[in-house]
This record gives sequence, C-alpha cells and structure tokens, in this order.
Amino acid sequence: MNDISKKRTGNLISIQDSLVKARFFDDVIMGETAEISVDGKFLQAEVLQILPDPKNADAGIVEMQVFEDLTGAKIGDEVVFKGTPLSVLLGPGLLTSVWDGLQNPLYKLSEEDAYLKPGMNAPALDEEALWDFTPIVNVGDTVAGGDVIGTVPEGKVDHKILVPFSFGPCKVESIIEKCSVNITQQVAIVIDEQGNKHELKLAFRQPVKSPIPFKDRAIPTKPISTGVRVIDLLAPVGYGGTVGNPGPFGAGKTVLQHSLCKYAVADIIVMAACGERAGEAVEVFKEFAELEDPTTGESLMKRMCIFGNTSSMPVAAREASVFIALTVGEYYRYQGKKVVMLADSTSRWAQALRERSGRQGDIPGPEAFPMDIPDQIKGMYQRAGEDLGTGGSLTFIGTVSPAGGNFQEPVTQATMDATGGFWGLSQDRADAKKYPAIDPLVYTTSVYDGFVSWKDRQKMLTTLNEANDIDQTISTIGLKKVPVSNYIQYQKGLTIDFCVMQQDAFEKTDACTRPERLEIINEATQNLIDNTIDFQVGDLDDEQLKELIKHKFDELRQWWRDWNYSAKTEEELAKLPKAVDKFILQEEYAV
Amino acid sequence: MIRKEINKISEVGKALISVEGNPGVALNHVVELLEADSNQSLSFAKAINITEDATRFQVFNGTSGLSTKTKIRMLEVPLTAGFSNKMLGRSFDGAGQVADGGPEVIFEKEISTRLDTLNPTVRNVPKQALWTGIPMIDVFNTLVKSQKIPIFAGPTEPYNRLLSQIAQGAQADVIIFAGIGLKFDEYQYFKDQLSQSGNIDKTIMFTHLAGDSQIKGLMLPDVALSVAREFGDQGKDVLVLLTDMTNWSNILRNVANYQDMIPSLQGYPGSLYSELAKRYEVAADIEGAGSITIIGATTLESLEDPVPDNTGYITEGQFFLENGKLKLARSLSRLKQGVNGKTRSDHRAIMTAMASLLADAEKAHEASEVGAANDPYSQKLLRYRTDFINNIEEPFGEPIELEAALDKCWAILKRHFEPTETGLSKKLIDEYWDKN
Repeated sequence: MNDISKKRTGNLISIQDSLVKARFFDDVIMGETAEISVDGKFLQAEVLQILPDPKNADAGIVEMQVFEDLTGAKIGDEVVFKGTPLSVLLGPGLLTSVWDGLQNPLYKLSEEDAYLKPGMNAPALDEEALWDFTPIVNVGDTVAGGDVIGTVPEGKVDHKILVPFSFGPCKVESIIEKCSVNITQQVAIVIDEQGNKHELKLAFRQPVKSPIPFKDRAIPTKPISTGVRVIDLLAPVGYGGTVGNPGPFGAGKTVLQHSLCKYAVADIIVMAACGERAGEAVEVFKEFAELEDPTTGESLMKRMCIFGNTSSMPVAAREASVFIALTVGEYYRYQGKKVVMLADSTSRWAQALRERSGRQGDIPGPEAFPMDIPDQIKGMYQRAGEDLGTGGSLTFIGTVSPAGGNFQEPVTQATMDATGGFWGLSQDRADAKKYPAIDPLVYTTSVYDGFVSWKDRQKMLTTLNEANDIDQTISTIGLKKVPVSNYIQYQKGLTIDFCVMQQDAFEKTDACTRPERLEIINEATQNLIDNTIDFQVGDLDDEQLKELIKHKFDELRQWWRDWNYSAKTEEELAKLPKAVDKFILQEEYAV
Repeated sequence: MIRKEINKISEVGKALISVEGNPGVALNHVVELLEADSNQSLSFAKAINITEDATRFQVFNGTSGLSTKTKIRMLEVPLTAGFSNKMLGRSFDGAGQVADGGPEVIFEKEISTRLDTLNPTVRNVPKQALWTGIPMIDVFNTLVKSQKIPIFAGPTEPYNRLLSQIAQGAQADVIIFAGIGLKFDEYQYFKDQLSQSGNIDKTIMFTHLAGDSQIKGLMLPDVALSVAREFGDQGKDVLVLLTDMTNWSNILRNVANYQDMIPSLQGYPGSLYSELAKRYEVAADIEGAGSITIIGATTLESLEDPVPDNTGYITEGQFFLENGKLKLARSLSRLKQGVNGKTRSDHRAIMTAMASLLADAEKAHEASEVGAANDPYSQKLLRYRTDFINNIEEPFGEPIELEAALDKCWAILKRHFEPTETGLSKKLIDEYWDKN
C-alpha cells in the first residue's frame, strides 16, 4: 500500500503534443492522476503506462496524457503524483451545471477570462451554496458505501446523501441535526472496522473508470416516451437501455439529440458534448433554460447537467468527459432516479483514443483505431442499465459519426454490437429533408415491446417495405405497368411515412407526440393499412384512375399533416381516426 | 539580453530539423536560425517535439540551404503574431510578415497564436442572418453571423468566385482573407474583386502561394484567425475567408508524415478532426464583444474523402457547389432555424416543401434515364426540376432580396403543381398561392 501522504515526484524527459514521459525514483500507480508544473501553472495529467528506464536501473519511466495545452513545458519540469485516479465530485449542485470535460465549471471560469487557458480550474461544485440537510441515520447505526445518511432537496429532486462507495461497514459516531450546510462542511463522522474515523460531507469524489455498482440489475422493459414517433412506434428504448445513433454529417443527429433532451420523460438528463461543436452545447444550456420540463413544468435545465468538452478543447479530456458523465448518471441512478445520458459523439471519444494510441506507438487496428476499441465501447455501454434495487435507471444514447457516412467502419460496427437499439440516420432521407432521417426499413432495431403492439409495429413495417418495393418498380419499369392495387398500397406507405414517421422538430405541436396521441395515430394508421379502398368513379382508365388516387392521397396527407400541427383538444384529436375511416369509404372528411 | 545559442544541428529533413540533447527549449517556443558566419537571419522555427535526447523543430522558411553549422538562437517565447489596425488594406504571409512589397507595419502589440478555446458560456446563440442575395442561401440555407461554413466543391468548380461574391455583399467590419496553397491567379482575383467592391480597405490578406514553404502554410490559419479574433474581441464583426482548407490539410498530412506519425485514413494523421476543429471553432458571436464568421472552401473529389468528411462534422453545414450550381440536396445551414422563423410566415414551409418535391424529382430524373418516368406526375416533376436548377440553384445571377426570392419560389410551384401536391398547409396555400 502506498503512503499517499508522502509527496512523490518525477521529472519530464519527453514532450510530444499531449503525451509526456517522466522519470521517477519512488513509485507510481497505474491510472493515477498527476500535476505537471509548467511556468508556474499546474497541468492535469493521467498515468497511462509504467516502463523501465533503459538509462537508469534505479528509476522508472511513466507515460502520461496531459489534459491541457503543454506550450512552454520543458525537459525537467516537475511532476507531482496525486495517488488518486481520475474522479468526479458527486453531491448536490450537479444539476443545472455546465462543465468542461474535467468538471471545471465553465460559468465560474468565465469570470476569470473569456478564453480557457491551461492551468485554469475552479471547484466543481459551488462551495458556498447552502443545502437543507435532513439526517436519516442515528448515532450508533451501521452504514456502508452507498447507504443514505440524509437528504437535501436539489430543486424538485430529492438528493440523497450517500456514504462514499469505497467505504466498508462503519458505525455512525456523530451526525448533525437538520440544518443548512454547504458541501465543505462535515455532516457526520463514521468509524470503520479498523477504528479509523472518517468525516462525511454532502459531496465526495468517485473514480470514474470503474462503475458504481447495481443493487439488483434487470433487463430494461418499460419504454421511454421520447416524443419522437418513429422511435416510440418502431424502435422504442427502455429505461436503462442503450442505443447507438449513427449518421453521416447533416443527417440530423444533433436535432434529434436536442429533441430527446427536451421531450424524453426522465428525471435527469446528463449530456456529454464530447468533441462536438461548442455552439450546439451553448444552444442547450442557453435556450433550454427557457423551455419547460415535460413532467415538472420547470425550466428544462433544472433536470440537466452538461459536460462540454467541445471539439477545440484538449483531446485527452474528451475520453475523461464521457466517463465523468457516466459516473454522474450512475450516481443518480443509485438514488432511484430515471437518468438519460446522451453522448454526442462517441466517435470523437474513440478518435481521442486513436490519437493517443497513435502517439504511444501502439500497433493500429482497423482504420488506425486501437485494437481493443470494440471492447472499450462495449464496456462503456454496459454501464447503463435498470436497477430494481434502487428503482433507478441509466439509459445511454450515444451518437456515432461514421467517417464517410459508412456504417461498416469500426466504431459503428462495435456500437451496433454493444447496444440494444439502433437508430441509423440515412443520407437519402436527410437529403430529401425528411426529419427524423431514421430509416424505418433499414436502421431501426429494438428489443422492447413499445407503445403499440408488436403486431401493429410489424404491420407498419410491412406496409412501408411494400411501398418501398413498389417505388423501386415504378422507378425501373414506369408507373404505367404497375397495377392499380399496388399503386394504392404504395400511396398508403407514402402516407404513413409522410404523416407518421416524419415529424417537424421546430413546430410546437408536432415536435413531441405522447403515448395517448400516438395511440390515436396508430389506430388511424392500422385502419388505413387493414382496409381496401375503392376509388373507381365512372369508368376511368388506369392512368386517369391513378391520377385520381394520387390526388385523393395528396389531400389526405395535407389534411393529416395539418392535424399533426394543430390538433390539441380531445375533440380535435378524435377527428383523425374518423377522417381516415371516411377516407376509406371515400366520403367527405375535411371538416 | 543574451540569448542562448545552439551551434550544431544534427538532422535536417523536409521542413524539420533536430538537435541532439536537451538545450532547454520549451514546447512550441520559437527559435531563430542564423547563418553561421554572418549571423544573418535565415528563418524562424518552432519546437514541436522534445526529449532529453533530441529536440525537433518545424522551420518556417523551409530547410533548403540549412547546414549542420547553422546557428539556433533561442527566443524563449511561444509563437505570436503582430497586430495593428494599420494591417487593414495590406497583405501578409503565413507568419504574419508583410508580403505586398509595401512599407513595414509597426505592430501595436504581439498576440498569441495558440487559439485558446473560447469559454462556451460567453458565446451568444447565433440569431442574426447575413443576407447574400443568393436564393439558395437566403431562402434554403440562410447564412448566420458567427457561422462556420465551407463551400464544398470539385477542384474545377468556381468556388472562389462564389466565396468572393458572398464576401462582396458581406455585412462585416473587417474581412480577413486567408489563402493557403493558392495559385497566383486566385490571389490576384480576390485582390481585384475586393478592390472593385470597395472592400479592400477593410480587408487584411494572409496569403500562402502554392510552392511557398509548407510550414508557413500550416501556420497561416492560426496567424490569420488570431488577428481576426483580436478584432472580434475589440467589438468588430469579422468575416474570415479560408481557402482552400484541403490544401492546408494536405500540408498537415505532409508534415505529420515527416514527423513519422501513424496515419489513420488516406495518410492523414488521426488528429485531422481536432486540428480542423481548432481552427473552425474560432467562429463565434462573443458576449459583450464582436463576432467572427468563417466561410471556407474545401475542394474534394468525393464527399467521403477525409477532409470534407471531417469538415462536415465540424462546421455548421456546407454549401455544395456542383456544375456551377449550388445544390440543394447536399447543402445545409445548421444555424438557419435560428433566423428563418422570424422572416416571412411561409419561409420555413416553402423551404421544406420545395426540398421534398425536389427529392421526388431527382428520383423521377433517375427513372427517366431508364425511360420509366412516363406518367404525367413524373413529367411534372421533371419540368419542376429543370426550373429549380436554372432559377434557384444558380448562384451567380442578379442578387435578389429574400421576399422576392420567396415569391419566385411560389411562382415556380404554381407553374408545375396543384396546391395539394405541394404538401403545404391549407393556411399557407390560401395566403400565398393566388398572390403569385
């Protein structure tokens, strides 16, 4: 065991971009963090590898990645090893916060300078904010890691104060009465089995690379209402589930992520903006503050926290940002909360690993990614899940940005293998400005029963598939040779695609569809699928009849889309199934 | 102050030199190379890789003519660029040195070229349109102040003409032109265009011509963007024109190759995404200060090439130029939603409707190539497609105002379709259909 109170140091012997080597004479722990002193600033680093020193048998060499720009670093600069692995501060005040990838609070840093400079840091959580602590254990009680010693209200969230997870069984020696405290003040003292005393506060540090345990892990079954029809109908995600969301650039990943942030029914949303555009993160924390949470009616930001390690920030911190965000998600899951974590984009995370392994001189795997990238991706998604023991869940939705939009590339492939759901965005649908560009035929998978029955879901898919086949036929042999009955089937598919699968994310009513409304839409859709329609009037020839059919369906689609935009009251909502029934009978419905 | 000097260069390669041992140089600090006997300054260089055994430098002016006896004088400062308002109207090279043969510029201050990340919390959400008079941009992919957006185009497309046309009508206080790997004709073309449009006095040109030192080309965006940022911090609205970032990426690839870095795709370093992002992310609307808008040019053979592919993930959309037309299908302005809801009530709807019809028309066009688009509706779509390409996707026509452009869109729809075929809501049809 290392005596971490003793100062252990080393000195730089090699500097290359964000990768450094240092010589040390004492001892170094794999994965521990370190501070490098450069021009009077202290830069954060993490140990990646420990090697023998070919020049000095008494010394060793440690390889580290540095989370900040190293300009000005020199050979010989001092490294101080911290003895603790990369960790996150957990406690009240997490919600509404906006951090960089290492949990430095960005608003606080902006008081110092508009630009992020190496060596800048600030306490992760507000140390002055007071929280109303209510104890729930008594002196003499036995507690262990993860047990609740009290609660504080964090907005509308009932935030449980936990014994740090690393603790074994301890006896409570003292605990404060109900009162207001900040996160630096002691709230309890516990004694472990060896007789050592430990001080407990509202917040504690938790290593990020090993997961917080489950109490009673279960397979996710209950679907989340995301408000996005194509997802909730065809590829629902369950509380505690995992989804990979790949798409070429411009296919609408970001708009979809923002929709999920706004409308997914969850207690808490943790967002890791990992290596993506700063502007998108800014939109979330500046604009979402003005929007309402669908369940509480409060500002959306009150259920969110954001890690913004955007694309121009140091690459090494990108990897950290995803693990830090995951750990925050696990922490709230352990408190019984339903957490949705969005990571945009996991490809940037993987690229950070690629940059690093390239610098380390590792033998590259496919497309120069590290050989073990599939295992790392699996390990990451495995941290999501539902916990029956706490009643909480952590759902993980990761976007993937495949190079060249090619889903065969290593990160997309590994993600498909690692996740339970797959929402693939198609370039063709995006080019046709269809939103969301999730292709219902090729790229939706789901292991859950969703908001409609499996049978209804399959019927929708079959109709869309048939329409797609007929479309192909029309494109190759021309409309003339396609039988009228097939043309009707084609028009039905088009209608379901246009009115149900597509949605307007920027139109207030249409942007979010809840289960009740979805049920009405499903009823109308199933009726349209199930019934044959006779369009013949007089004696039109096939060509004229097809034109008439197209015209009738055009009218229906316009009416239906208007309904999507406008129907709100129960009475208005009921109009859709009625209209479709009348359409089937070819009666007047546009009232 | 006496500067420490190093008297022996151990290795001279393409664009790089190394010295043995550890002379005490810090990472990214600048050294000056001097002719051994005369002490005449040959070039500056930057320390990029330091170990206790060797130190490696990128040489700004190239390594040709250097010898093992060339002296290295340590300046012990990171790379900076000179800044002055007197730079307006002048031309500089990639290292920020005067390059137009005019008098030296006395700089007011030296600024860092490190391009530190702007704290996201001091970014404003972009909300102000920049109108170009080009319908494909104004109606379908509105350009927004502080946007970063490239023109994607094949090498023979008139992308520089388009870039220059957008710049001419620019509502900007300062224009920073950053040209990397340009042909002389291109440089002169921009200079002439900016002069003719009366913008030259608010323009600073940073130019690297094809064949100039690679390291100077590599540095150029950092120098140009640092100067742009300084104006932005002073409250100015700055427009940066970056052309051509594929040339820049190719220099990055070459230099990474000289440095023996493990390549990822097509020889580019694994850091290509981060390197491009670092530059494009300078675009910002800064709280309490000015703004920086970046319009770039990225030449490509295929959209799947690493440079356009990575760029697409970084920038806020792209304008796609093909056969001299701005193509709707592959063009995108990610910031348009922040501005096009506050224009005319039909703006968003007409944009969606026309795009959707054009996608159908493209399918009909494909079908027509095998003789399958023989029904009346397909014929309609084909006529619509031709009309759209000639009247909307043409970027080099007379500039027109947004409202006129929207009216033009209605007129095209009306020429070819029944109201219900457009997918537009009844309300909008009632309001606009018969007006046009």
